Amino acid sequence: MNAETMNVIQMKRSRIKELWEQELGGFKTETSAMTPHMYNELNREFLDLLMNHVSLGDISEDGTLERFFDKVLRANMPLEYITQGLQTYRRIILEVVLEEDLNKDVAIEIYREVDYWMDPILNKVVTNSSRLWERTVSIQKSALLELSAPLIPVFQHISVMPLIGTIDTERAKLIMENLLEGVIQYRSQVVLIDITGVPVVDTMVAHHIIQAADAVRLLGSTCILVGIRPEIAQTIVSLGIDLSLFPTRSTLQKGMEQALDITNQQIVKEK
Amino acid sequence: MRIPILKLHEYLLITIQVELDDQTALQFQEDLLNKIHDTGAKGVVIDLTSVDMIDSFIAKVLGDVVRMSKLMGAQVVLTGIQPAVAITLIDLGISMREVPTALDLEQGLDKLRLELEG
Repeated sequence: MNAETMNVIQMKRSRIKELWEQELGGFKTETSAMTPHMYNELNREFLDLLMNHVSLGDISEDGTLERFFDKVLRANMPLEYITQGLQTYRRIILEVVLEEDLNKDVAIEIYREVDYWMDPILNKVVTNSSRLWERTVSIQKSALLELSAPLIPVFQHISVMPLIGTIDTERAKLIMENLLEGVIQYRSQVVLIDITGVPVVDTMVAHHIIQAADAVRLLGSTCILVGIRPEIAQTIVSLGIDLSLFPTRSTLQKGMEQALDITNQQIVKEK
Repeated sequence: MRIPILKLHEYLLITIQVELDDQTALQFQEDLLNKIHDTGAKGVVIDLTSVDMIDSFIAKVLGDVVRMSKLMGAQVVLTGIQPAVAITLIDLGISMREVPTALDLEQGLDKLRLELEG
């Protein structure tokens, strides 16, 4: 940074500080659990860093600013706080510098310099935080997929797939794949699909389940739909969905009894 | 290209191990019906374990073969349909509900025996 600009900034330190606190003091944080005191502390630290940074030269060389931004984001402060802070700082610097009586060329030069200095920081902040969020989202997504449709072998030739939560097209595809792979892997003659945990069964969900059951049948196995609650039975019938092509039962227990029957097995109580 | 048809007691066994094209499928249909006529077989198992692709025409031919065989008094069971094939068929809207299926050859034969006896 140009020595003259830096001088002006250092000289006007207290004025910048005053303006900055005035601008950022009203920043509302609803998501963060920060007390006003903590917030003021944070503001002071932010400004100090920015001030020192001007004299240090480049942010990317030294990690302090980035560490600070990380800290801010971890404290659940919105990204807006950082971007607004940086933009406010830029505006204030320009205002303060232009309060000096400078000729036009020097003023433009300073303006340009501040811009060059500020933009990479802004870019970096946005890139870093969006990367952070993308990573979080992808981790959550894969966790969700893993939990989404497990096929559990229970007895010989009998497996259960418990479904919990709403079923959309993407999930239905996953359910179908897991179901078919599992049938082959465990050589299941009977698969019980338990929809106790599915809140709503509409035509689309029913359609997906029918398709899955058909596919399972093509493989040479039987699908039993269990966990049909009274309200689901009512919806299915009033929507005119035909589930009579494969067996259905109200509870997993009843379905299991039928599955044992189909596979010629039985549970015998020891005397 | 012809698909071999094996006779085992009163059953016919077919393992499809080549990629089925339309011509082969039609040829197979003819051969199988002739064989049923010649041997008087009561049951047929068509094993599709090595088939990893089926189009709508082949699916139709297979469905037809099953119905035709039934007309001639032979019960057909399809075995070893792969997940990918099943998904394709369902996506094509072909559910072959009237065709009995089984996981593998062994269970297919069991199923045949069951259906013929019971």
